[in-house]
Amino acid sequence: MTLDIETLVDLYRDMWLIRAFEFGLEREFKKGNVPGMLHTGVGQEATQAALAAHLHATDAFFPDHRCHGINALAQEKHQGDGERIMAELFGRATGVSGGKGGSLHSANPEVGNFGDNAVEGSYMATVLGVALAYQMRRQPNVACCIIGDGTVGRGEFHESLNMAAIWKLPVLYALVNNGYAISMPVGKGHASADIVDLARGYGMPCVVVDGNDIELAYAEVQKAVDYIRGGNGPYFLEFKTWRWQGLFSGEFRPAEEVRYWKEERDPLKLARAKIIENSALTADDVDRIEAEVKAEVEGWIDYAKQSPMPEPAKATANVYVGWTVEN
Amino acid sequence: MTQSPARTRTFVQALTEALDLALERDPNVYMLGEDIGEMGGDFGVTRGLWAKYGETRVRDTPLSEAAIIGTAVGSAMMGMRPVAEIMFADFLGECYDQLVNNAAKMHYMFDGQFKAPIVVRTACGGGFGGGPHHSQSVEGWFLNVPGLVIVAPATPADAKGLLLASIENDNPILFLEHKALYRIKGDVPEGYYTTPLRQARIAREGKDVTVVATMKMVHEALAAAAELEKEGINVEVIDLRTILPYDAETVLASVRKTGRAVVANEAPRTGGLASELSAVIGEACFRDLKAPVERVTGLDTPIPFSLVLEKYILPGKEQVVEGIRRVMK
Repeated sequence: MTLDIETLVDLYRDMWLIRAFEFGLEREFKKGNVPGMLHTGVGQEATQAALAAHLHATDAFFPDHRCHGINALAQEKHQGDGERIMAELFGRATGVSGGKGGSLHSANPEVGNFGDNAVEGSYMATVLGVALAYQMRRQPNVACCIIGDGTVGRGEFHESLNMAAIWKLPVLYALVNNGYAISMPVGKGHASADIVDLARGYGMPCVVVDGNDIELAYAEVQKAVDYIRGGNGPYFLEFKTWRWQGLFSGEFRPAEEVRYWKEERDPLKLARAKIIENSALTADDVDRIEAEVKAEVEGWIDYAKQSPMPEPAKATANVYVGWTVEN
Repeated sequence: MTQSPARTRTFVQALTEALDLALERDPNVYMLGEDIGEMGGDFGVTRGLWAKYGETRVRDTPLSEAAIIGTAVGSAMMGMRPVAEIMFADFLGECYDQLVNNAAKMHYMFDGQFKAPIVVRTACGGGFGGGPHHSQSVEGWFLNVPGLVIVAPATPADAKGLLLASIENDNPILFLEHKALYRIKGDVPEGYYTTPLRQARIAREGKDVTVVATMKMVHEALAAAAELEKEGINVEVIDLRTILPYDAETVLASVRKTGRAVVANEAPRTGGLASELSAVIGEACFRDLKAPVERVTGLDTPIPFSLVLEKYILPGKEQVVEGIRRVMK
C-alpha cells in the first residue's frame, strides 16, 4: 500500500459513484427515459477517479467519450450538485448544458469541465489553447485532455502533441486505452498497441499505467500533474484498462477476455479487497459505503426525472453571442 | 464611422494597421499562423508585428491548421482574443471540423457557458493562376453553419474597420481577404475605428437595378455600373460586407426600390451565397420584381490553373454587365 487508507476509501467511494451512475443510467436508458446514445465507462472508473482527485476547479479537463463519471465527480466535488450531470443526460432544463449538450457535451467551466466534443479527438486541438492561455498568463494550471485509444488515429492527436511539445504547454494527455475503438482492437488500428510508443517521439514524458489499479493511477497522475505545474511542459499517460460495455448489438469479445477483466481485473473489486485487507473496515462496512453511494445516485436519477424539460423555444437561443437571428 | 483624416493605403497596409492597433490596445489579442512571425506572412499582412510585439503574441506555427484553430478556440474560451491566419482559404478543409463543430457551436452546445471569439483571417479568391488549391472562394462551404460569422471586406477602409470590429466581437469570425484586393489602394482613416458587422454598404446609389456583390465582385459591379451608365442604366451596387449573418434589410430595401436584382459572387453557382440571396429576394420581393433574380457566379467547376481556363470560369465585369442586361430586358 502506497496510499493512506482514508484516501483509498475516498477514491473507492468515487469509483463506486461512477459505477452506480453508469448502471443506473443504463437501466433508465433501456427503459427509454434517456434519449440518444449511451457510452458508459464501467471498468474504467480508476482512471477517472484518479484524474478527478488531482485536478482543481481552476484547471481544465476535456472529458472523453465515456465521460459521465468524471463529469459527475467534478460537479459533485466542486459544486455539490452531481445530479445536474444526470439531468443533462435526461435532456432536462436543469442539466449543466441546459439540455443542449447531453452525454457528449456536458460542461461547466466553474468546475474545470470544458466539455466533451463528440468528434473524437477534436478537443485535442482545443486543449492547446487553454494551455496556452495558462502559459501566457503564467498560471500554474493543468489543461487535461482525456482521450480514448481510437482517437490516436486522428490527425489532431499528432498536431496536438507536436505543438504542445514545441511550445512546452501545460497539457496532461490522459489516454484511456480500453482495448477497442468500438469494434477495432488497438493492435489492428494503430502501428503500436502501446500508444506511448507513438507519443514518445514528441519528446515528452510518456508513462504506461495499470488503469485498473487505483493506487498506481493516483500516484502516476500526481507525478504528472506536479511535473506540469512546475512549468516543464506536456506529459503523456497511457492507462491500460478495459471497458465493460460491448457494442450496441451485444458482446463481441472472446469469453475468456471478458471473464478475465470482469472477474480478475475489476478496479472496484481490487480496491475493495485492499481496503478490507489493510484497514479496520469490514466487508459489511464497505457494503454500507456502496449502499450509501447508490442511494445518492438514485436520488440524482429521481431529480433528473422530476426536472422540467427545456422551453422548446430555447432551441434558438445562444446561437450567436449578443445577436438574435431571425428564424 | 469616419473620423480622423484619411490617408491612401493599400488593403494590406490597412489590415496591418488594424492588427497593430488591436495588439497595442488589448493584451488578450495575439496572433498565430504559418510564417506570420519574422517573415510577416505570405502576403505581408503581419509584417513588422513580430518585431514590435514579440514571438509570444505573434506566433509562428507548424503546418497544423487544425491545431491552429483549436488553439485559437481554446484560448478564446479562456478570454483571449486570437487572430489566426490560415494562409490560403483552400486549406480551411484541414480545420473544417474545428471551425464548424467547435468554434461555431461552442457557445450554443454548452448553452452559453463558453464564447469562442476568434478571428480567422484567410486569403481567398482566384484570378492569378493559383490553381485548384490556392484560388477558391469558400463562403459557400460555411454558409450552412449557424453560429459562424463570415466577414468579407471590399475596400481598404472596410478591411481595417471590419477587422477591428471582428476582433472586438464575441463570435467566431471567418475573415475573408480576396487576394486580388490586397494591392488596391484607398482612403483609410487614421487611428482606431470599427465598421459595423452585419451592415451592408451601398457602394453606389442607383434606381434601375440592384447588384449585391462581395469582395472583388464589388469592384467588377462598380465597373459594370460605370459602363452601363453610358447607356442610361442606373445601377445600385451593394457591398454585402458581412456574408453571414447577412444584412437582408438593406438588400431587400434596395430591391424593393429598383425592382431588379443581380447577385454577384465569385464562388461556384450551386448552393452558394448567390443562390441564398436570390431565394431571399424572391421570397420577400416577388411582387416588386420586374424580372427574375440573376446570379452571376463562378461556374460549377474546380479552379483550373491556366489563366485562359481560369478566366473562362470566373465571373468578371462582363458577366455582371450581361446579368444586368438580362434583368433589364
